[in-house]
Amino acid sequence: MAESEATPQLNTALNSQLMSQEKTVLSVTNLSWQLAGKAILSAIDFSLAEGKMLGIIGPNGAGKSSLLRCLYRFITPTSGNIELFGQQISALSAKAFAKQVAVVLQDTPHHFEMTTSQLIALGLTPHKGAFDFTNKQDREEVAKALDKVGLTDKANQAYESLSGGEKQRALIARAIVQRTKLLILDEPTNHLDIRYQIQTLELLRTLNITVITSIHDLNLASALCDELLLLNNGQCVAKGEPKAVLTEQIIAKVFDVCCEIKPHPQHGNPLICYFYGYQNHDYQNNGYQNQGYQSHDVQESGEHQAAKAQTLGGLDDSGD
Amino acid sequence: MTQAISLSKGVGSARRPLEYLLYGVLACLTLLTPFAATSFGAATISVADVFSVLSHKLLTVGESLGVRERIIWELRLPRVLLAFIAGAGLSIAGSVLQTVTRNPLADPYLFGISSGASFGAVVSLTLFSQSILWLSLPVGAFIGASLSVVMVLGLCGRNLSTQVERMLLSGVAISFMFGAMASLMLYFSSPQAAASVLFWTLGSFAKASWQGLWLPAAVVLIAMLIILLNKRQIVAMRAGDETAHTLGINVSHLRLNMLLLCSLITAILVANCGGIGFIGLMVPHTVRLLFPGRYPLLLTALVGGLFMVWVDVLARTLLSYQELPVGIITSVMGSIFFLFILASRNAKRI
Repeated sequence: MAESEATPQLNTALNSQLMSQEKTVLSVTNLSWQLAGKAILSAIDFSLAEGKMLGIIGPNGAGKSSLLRCLYRFITPTSGNIELFGQQISALSAKAFAKQVAVVLQDTPHHFEMTTSQLIALGLTPHKGAFDFTNKQDREEVAKALDKVGLTDKANQAYESLSGGEKQRALIARAIVQRTKLLILDEPTNHLDIRYQIQTLELLRTLNITVITSIHDLNLASALCDELLLLNNGQCVAKGEPKAVLTEQIIAKVFDVCCEIKPHPQHGNPLICYFYGYQNHDYQNNGYQNQGYQSHDVQESGEHQAAKAQTLGGLDDSGD
Repeated sequence: MTQAISLSKGVGSARRPLEYLLYGVLACLTLLTPFAATSFGAATISVADVFSVLSHKLLTVGESLGVRERIIWELRLPRVLLAFIAGAGLSIAGSVLQTVTRNPLADPYLFGISSGASFGAVVSLTLFSQSILWLSLPVGAFIGASLSVVMVLGLCGRNLSTQVERMLLSGVAISFMFGAMASLMLYFSSPQAAASVLFWTLGSFAKASWQGLWLPAAVVLIAMLIILLNKRQIVAMRAGDETAHTLGINVSHLRLNMLLLCSLITAILVANCGGIGFIGLMVPHTVRLLFPGRYPLLLTALVGGLFMVWVDVLARTLLSYQELPVGIITSVMGSIFFLFILASRNAKRI
């Protein structure tokens, strides 16, 4: 008897612990968006737990930016449901939403005459009423964000004069000042060299908030995202851990490139080695050798070839 | 260490010595202008006279100065105040419109307000009786100005957040249309009417009076207060519509409200003082060049107001026995001064 009484308590305690660990920040169900009768996004479902970093990957025009725009309410989806902490996002006021979700966009307009610290202070906007003036605490918060992204010495420089990586970091600092629980970024690593790409994503990991980012570099996505969502033609092709999403057949199918996947020597997530000169159809028709590819790996591994041919064929059958 | 230093300094833009000098000059000008500007004019009046009239009228101290008191109190002072209000209102309207439309060439006459107002003025001058001229010209001008705003906003439809270009182009088209209609009516009207419309179009504060002052003053003050309370949102609009949206700003609402507010300021001022050009375009840019990296709305209003007061002083003193339209002087002085600042800034920029 004593046991049967204790068990439910234990269960609820465990459950609440699990709940707190796996608290759902965002859940998207059956999201579709049509523009002039054309389906840009169709039937997208996913949910994201607190503290996770979700990478949205896919070819150009797959609908990555459109999906993000739906998430930060810049466009209204044709159908479907988006919930933020269990609340419909369409029910929130603009200000209440901006207090919970910060967004870093790809580009800012020209003639953007602001210093770095002024740009970062824009993040305070949703927290300020008409009669609230910028006070000492706000300035300290901006200074802390500047320090966190390593731009303290550029605080009074024009934002336009910063390098690409610094601009991206300044925009992330603005999001830090916005004090939100979810951060959405649209291709934050675009136009950055590899050092800044890694730096930017590592910075995101240190923030300890839930992040959704669209990203082009699959290896970077594999290394630094907890979960991936692969879009193609507005549909979700695969989602889950990098290992589940980044497989040779899925990449060949969606991106029309040929690759081999190995575990990364550092973190064990998929490391994608692309083969050049072999578009998917060439590979299917001719195999590697006919194109004179020099890699030892490829020439040696007859097994790999057989496996790839099989997986490609298998994927074609399954279709979308 | 660097962090500690920056925290102790705060993160506001570093003020340069030149900026302090500019603040000092502006403060002196603000204190001196009401007295100095009032003492200039056809009748010889000293600054001391202005002081004694003000102390007599406001504090009921001292003696009346007779005719000079009437000139100061009933003619010059309302005129100086109206010039200040007009300059401040047009400058702040220009500054806000340039920001919310993100178009550096936007000015208060964006929606063809000046053409609409002149059309209204021409209609009231030519079609209605001369006896109610003092009443009908400002009212006609206000109706014309409002009509042009309503037409432009109607042409762009409801979705203002994505229609900025369309709105600007509609403004140009409406402006030309009203301009042509006004010209046509003037072409068939008497030379006298044409001359008075021309003088009115170029702007003048000659009709300033205490009775006519309260409406522009109230409108400009209230509008300025609303703009200042929305300053944070207006500043965020500079980062682009989509970014402003992500900062919790209802972009289309804010833009529409600001457009209507600025149109109201402009329509009231145009109806009272005529179409004074260039100031709404030039003063915001000048202030921005003088105080780079800032967005000083109040300073813009102050500089615009002071500039307009002194332009009006020039307008009534440059030629003896005749007044010059202020619009001509603002354009001439403004363009020269603006080009000068632009050239000096370009030379400094590396």
